Amino acid sequence: MAEVSVAGVTMRFGEMTALDDVSLDFVNGGFFALLGPSGSGKTTLLRVIAGFLFPQAGRVRIAGQPVERVPVEKREIGMMFQNYALFPNLTVAENVGFGLRVRHVSRAEERRRVGEALDLVQLSGLGARRPRELSGGQRQRVALARAIVTNPKVLLLDEPLSALDKALRVDMQIELKRIQREVGITTIFVTHDQEEALTLADRIGILRDGRLVQAGPPREVYNAPIDTFTARFLGEANLLPDPLPVPLPDGARLSLTSAAAHAVRPEALTLSPGPIAAAENLLPGRLVSRVFAGSMATCIVAVLGETWKVVARDRDLPQLPENTEVWLGWARADTIPIDRA
Amino acid sequence: MTGLRLAGLMWLGLVLIFLYAPILVMAAMSFNASPFYQLPFEFSARWYHDLAENAAIRNAATRSVLIAVATTIIATSLGTAAALALFRHDFRGKRLLKLLLFPPIAIPWLITGTAMLIFFFAIGLGRGTPAVLIGHVALALPYVIVVVNARLAGFDITLEEAARALGAGPWTVTRRVTLPAIAPGIVAGALFAFAVSFDQFVVSYFLSKPGDSTLPVLIYTAIRKGFTPEINAVSTLIIVTSMALMLVVARFFSFGGHR
Amino acid sequence: MAQAPIPGDGRRAAGLLAPAYLWLTLAVFLPLSAMLFFSFLTAAPFGTESPRATLENYRDFFETPTYALLLWKSIRLGLWVTLLCVLIGFPCALVLARQIRGRAREALFLLVILPFWSNSLVRVFSWAIVLRGNGVLDRTLDALLPFDVRLGLMFTPAAVVIGLVHSYLPYVILTSYLALQAIEDDIFDAARALGAGRITILRRLILPLSLPGLIAGAVLVFVPVVGSFMEPRILGGRFGTYFGTVIEDQFVAVFNWPLGAALSFILLAVVLAILGLSSPVLRRGLT
Repeated sequence: MAEVSVAGVTMRFGEMTALDDVSLDFVNGGFFALLGPSGSGKTTLLRVIAGFLFPQAGRVRIAGQPVERVPVEKREIGMMFQNYALFPNLTVAENVGFGLRVRHVSRAEERRRVGEALDLVQLSGLGARRPRELSGGQRQRVALARAIVTNPKVLLLDEPLSALDKALRVDMQIELKRIQREVGITTIFVTHDQEEALTLADRIGILRDGRLVQAGPPREVYNAPIDTFTARFLGEANLLPDPLPVPLPDGARLSLTSAAAHAVRPEALTLSPGPIAAAENLLPGRLVSRVFAGSMATCIVAVLGETWKVVARDRDLPQLPENTEVWLGWARADTIPIDRA
Repeated sequence: MTGLRLAGLMWLGLVLIFLYAPILVMAAMSFNASPFYQLPFEFSARWYHDLAENAAIRNAATRSVLIAVATTIIATSLGTAAALALFRHDFRGKRLLKLLLFPPIAIPWLITGTAMLIFFFAIGLGRGTPAVLIGHVALALPYVIVVVNARLAGFDITLEEAARALGAGPWTVTRRVTLPAIAPGIVAGALFAFAVSFDQFVVSYFLSKPGDSTLPVLIYTAIRKGFTPEINAVSTLIIVTSMALMLVVARFFSFGGHR
Repeated sequence: MAQAPIPGDGRRAAGLLAPAYLWLTLAVFLPLSAMLFFSFLTAAPFGTESPRATLENYRDFFETPTYALLLWKSIRLGLWVTLLCVLIGFPCALVLARQIRGRAREALFLLVILPFWSNSLVRVFSWAIVLRGNGVLDRTLDALLPFDVRLGLMFTPAAVVIGLVHSYLPYVILTSYLALQAIEDDIFDAARALGAGRITILRRLILPLSLPGLIAGAVLVFVPVVGSFMEPRILGGRFGTYFGTVIEDQFVAVFNWPLGAALSFILLAVVLAILGLSSPVLRRGLT
């Protein structure tokens, strides 16, 4: 267990700059999610931390030691791969014990620790199976056991849940969080799924085009996105048009601060067939469609030439025919001021 | 790390030298004026001139090409038909039929060739060009079936079903939908068949009549009698032809070269 | 692929299959059976003598130590050639599959297996030119090395081995390459992340995972080499008598076909035993 820090890391592949001067600290025992669209550099950053890639510039520290020129096999890390990368020729127990065997741990010790690791991921008794005889969820657990059995300083996860179907993925998220707490290992997790990042991590970092856009606790990043990209990437965001039309439509009122842009979360909006007297902000719009999704529902509304979303519990959203005039209201505190457009 | 990489590349380079050096030496010697491969090298196209005038070699070459073309046509059509049946239909014994393709490939040609010799004599066919042709087709067939089958594995059977739903009969479906889709596989299979026949020595050796032999058999007889520089020239021509053919096959069929 | 039965389906399948399989029966399976039958006769049934059933031909093999010795010599030749092909070819396939990327790999791979489809007789002949006494190889080494070189490799067992390795090396490279290439790259990353060095990765992952391909290549080399006769004849000179050349002689020189048939069948039995022994590993590679 250790803290990890990355300072000024730049990684180029030929002409392409995959990471551009990225600096980030990962606290000891924390669960950190690196989030970004594909091609944002999040996997590259993970591979730089792991030691598969040596950056052209910058410093990588694990437990205070500079390691940017140390190859992966000497870094004492644990890593889980997107497709698990289990060794098909070895049994589950041999897979989990691989790292211990490399470290010349005695056979008795190996058996004991493999047993403990399999208990931890609730796969006791499956040690003699081959990877191809396991289900997707079980393989995932084997990969996790294999990654942590050597007591690595840091656990790196490269989209570990993306190969699972949705129901299983939610189960595994809870499981992963439990195990991470139990072991207390510093964990860095790469995903493109913002919901997963918000669920699992206690800190997130958002990358775009090889640059770190914003980092912080999920709630903070969600509530105070630094730019419109982050606002839209992390959750849904309805953006006010820039510039605003002058004059505003009849009956509309806005109370805004002076920021580069303003956003409202879909769940902060109230939708009503008539003007809402109490609302500090109020805009008229036209209902485009209503989508039912079990307990929740989404209304698509055309507002000031933009397409906005309103999300609420189904019974809290009035049943209205499409193309009717509606009003959207929200509190002043729910307007998210954004510094960079 | 780089040291190991360098060693790997050097190893690969040495293997390539080992594979190609004798062929290049042979090709160079076919242009050497001395009939006894004497050095220093003196350029001459004399052996190629002699070759053009050597009727025995010319006849053997013509026979080899004709047999290879006939083998290609017969083996490709029969093999493609069989591959289609193995792909489309499910029946008992299908696994056995697929397994039966391996003995002709796996059993040494010495055994297959001598067995053919005995059998063809027993049924009164004896040695000669028909026997050689029958043998070549039998050797080429499994290759064609395996190659076409591999191509069919990537063929979407719902295309056939769609064509049938549109009212096309079985023959129309095969001709207008299936065959065009697997054409590259058929072409590759045909080139394999040609190569198997054209390069075939062992089976031809046991089945051809003296004085009526294919080119490889003629070369073997000539080598055993003593080296002759014309053989050198014709060997060079053969190897250039086969390698050119293989390059064409490679264009149709990427051997694990993707990714 | 299970499909709904169509009227006339079975007949159509049979119609498509019959020509190919009839041909194979006529030209491969019936001849092999005929040869087995012949090996139990005193003489070929189309001579003047009337043939009788006998075990004489097989007794000949077991009572004449020369045959058994030659079979052993051929098996030893097969083992040597296979070993050399594996030792030379596997590292070569490893370099191709794991070190070289993209178009260069495609081109080099093609270059390695190109000779595989060219005439093996001609390639053996080309070695005869290179290895001749005072030939190209002797001259080149003489020019490169300060002392006098007389390799005198031509017409020795070593020449036979060189020619056969040259002929069959591409098989091992091809099958090993295909097996190595099928291994997912992630596995090596995972092993490194667990702290494994090159030797560990080679011993515990690369070798076991590519073993089926390596064994397949070894079988593809061993089987034809045990039955080779053309290579020993051209390159072996007076050392060039092997089991294959004895069989050849029975058919083209001595004309003792029943004995030739019996010897061929003994060779086939050896080949089948080898295939049988290696099939568990090969089957594991297919699943």
